[in-house]
Amino acid sequence: MSTVRPPVSRPTRRPFLVLGLMALAGAALAPLLVPAAAQAHAIVIDSNPKVNDTLGVGGNVLKVHFNSRIDRARSKLTVIAADKTEVPVTMSESPDDETLAGQVTLPFAGSYKLRWQVLAVDGHTTRGDIPFTVTQP
Amino acid sequence: MDTLVDIFGYLTVVLNGINLVAMTMAFGSVLFLTCLALPLAAQLKLSADAVADAGARYARWGGIATAIATLSSLTLNALVLSGTLEMPVLQVAGAFFIEAGIVQVLAAIAIVVVARGHMTRPRVAVLTALALLMLVASLATSHAAARPGERVWMLLATFSHILGAGLWLGGLPAFLSSLGQAQSRDEGAAIGQRYSLMSITGVILIVLGAIGISIGFIGGLQGFYGTAYGAMAATKGVMLGILLLLGLGNFRTIRRFAAGQGESLTRVRRFVEVEIAFAIAILLAAGSITSQPPASDLTDDRATWAEVVERMTPVIPPRLESPSHDSLAIPALQEKLDKEWRDQQASNRPQAFVPGAGELPPRNADDIAWSEYNHHWAGLVVLLVGLFALLERAGVRWAKHWPLLFLILAGFLFLRSDPETWPMGDVGFWDSFRDPEVVQHRSFVVLIIAFTVFEWGVRTGRWKNQALALVFPVLTTVGGDLLLTHNHAISNIKEQLLIELSHLFLAVLGVAAGAARWMQIRGSGRDARWAGWIWPTCFVLVGLLLLAYREA
Repeated sequence: MSTVRPPVSRPTRRPFLVLGLMALAGAALAPLLVPAAAQAHAIVIDSNPKVNDTLGVGGNVLKVHFNSRIDRARSKLTVIAADKTEVPVTMSESPDDETLAGQVTLPFAGSYKLRWQVLAVDGHTTRGDIPFTVTQP
Repeated sequence: MDTLVDIFGYLTVVLNGINLVAMTMAFGSVLFLTCLALPLAAQLKLSADAVADAGARYARWGGIATAIATLSSLTLNALVLSGTLEMPVLQVAGAFFIEAGIVQVLAAIAIVVVARGHMTRPRVAVLTALALLMLVASLATSHAAARPGERVWMLLATFSHILGAGLWLGGLPAFLSSLGQAQSRDEGAAIGQRYSLMSITGVILIVLGAIGISIGFIGGLQGFYGTAYGAMAATKGVMLGILLLLGLGNFRTIRRFAAGQGESLTRVRRFVEVEIAFAIAILLAAGSITSQPPASDLTDDRATWAEVVERMTPVIPPRLESPSHDSLAIPALQEKLDKEWRDQQASNRPQAFVPGAGELPPRNADDIAWSEYNHHWAGLVVLLVGLFALLERAGVRWAKHWPLLFLILAGFLFLRSDPETWPMGDVGFWDSFRDPEVVQHRSFVVLIIAFTVFEWGVRTGRWKNQALALVFPVLTTVGGDLLLTHNHAISNIKEQLLIELSHLFLAVLGVAAGAARWMQIRGSGRDARWAGWIWPTCFVLVGLLLLAYREA
């Protein structure tokens, strides 16, 4: 014949409360110790320039298309020359919610990086570089 | 600010995981009030107030934890965005996810305030509305919210998935507490049967959501085994299967108990305790999955089935000798890695990183050989532990000293897992803590030593307290949780996945071992007996998996 267990009295619950707190602390600690994953949430689907593309000196349109909708007011494009100097980018209207667009005047031939940082609408921040080369037309 | 950006990636995963556990408990406890405590109030004459108090108490705790975790997450994101965009914090604060987060925090705080006093019908109705508001606000940080184009179906699938988790898993602490408050067989049976109904509804919602998410975010079979997102989702599926088995056991026990067929509610309570362990693991995995891009978006760099099989095929014999630069295998492996690196550099697919992370140097054959050597030695120790524990279970008395074997493992891990740091390398002891992977390995060492001390004391009869005996299952489960969210920060997405696959198996076995040992200590009769065989078997399997581990 089975019986219903009576409510447990306080003194015997205390060790289990401590244990419960330990488990909670452990569970909280677990993700705290996770190293950053290299890959992130918003990724590049297409871009202009593409990786290792070649552009001409002078005015160029920049476009980076992502897999997520992005908050354009809190995202940016930067062009960095081989000597680490920044070339100003003027942000422009994007064709859709997933694209970041801008215009740049590339002053001289050489290696460059298009550095992008986006805030996806769901709050994930992602960044990356697209290397490209500039040549005299 | 630089340090904050350095650790931004893993802090985000931390807060996602905590937030998900806390929020699920908060709204699950509110749903417990709505669907169980209130409708059964008339039937539960003696324990009605105690049952309602349990629901309200866990709703308050969940609300407090949700508010803290969400506020921390919002602050962290706002600071990092402000710092990296060189934009005033107030301007950053206008972002949609911050507005939604503030709604979530306010709803959580309101739950804490309202879930006090007597749980009347209007009070529970307000709590339910607040819980749903909190849940809807949380959707703003889901993958579905950022999808381009039509996203209503994906938002609905995500909503269904989270709602189901709350209904089934979030109410478990309140259910566990309520079972202890039942004053008669009828009351116990009524609580058990009503929660079974809630659980079945929760499972249906979870599965419906999972189907939608799988179609939208994973795509096909290769998405499951060929991407990190899919592999994590599959692991969640496996653990859900284990939870379903436990839930089914509970369902049958409650039915027999209600029919007076010789069952006890204590058995149900033990199963619920184990269910909570798996629920936390699943929610942490769900928190971690949000940092991964959906599988359907990763069309390049997926692992093929042949690559998965190759990686899972054991190295025979295992690497138990310290690798040498002169070894013939090292130059051959290095050549293969160099080719991989050249292919990767030639690829036109741009890389994406969270702030603070970045492209790492090419993989080195020596490093891989060291890592495999470490894993294989660890595997040998864990295998011996499992075998000795099985011997002890079979009645061999001297085998009870098996916990001491773990000291070898702790010493080995401390010296070998990060050879570039003190005492073997140039990086100082304190400086090495800036590397999250080193922090993780060191934490494992502390966990292992703590485990050894407690478990050896218990085995040899030095400590009689049952709570001390439970340190082992708690730490083993936490170890499984750690592995479940373990990512090797390497530059190649495919390599990251292939390494992660073996860790996911180990994680599930870790959580299962902890749960089984818990059941052996807390349970009785048949349950305790079979649980006593399960956890050493899990250790044997972990040992074998580690012995078979390979990184190339």
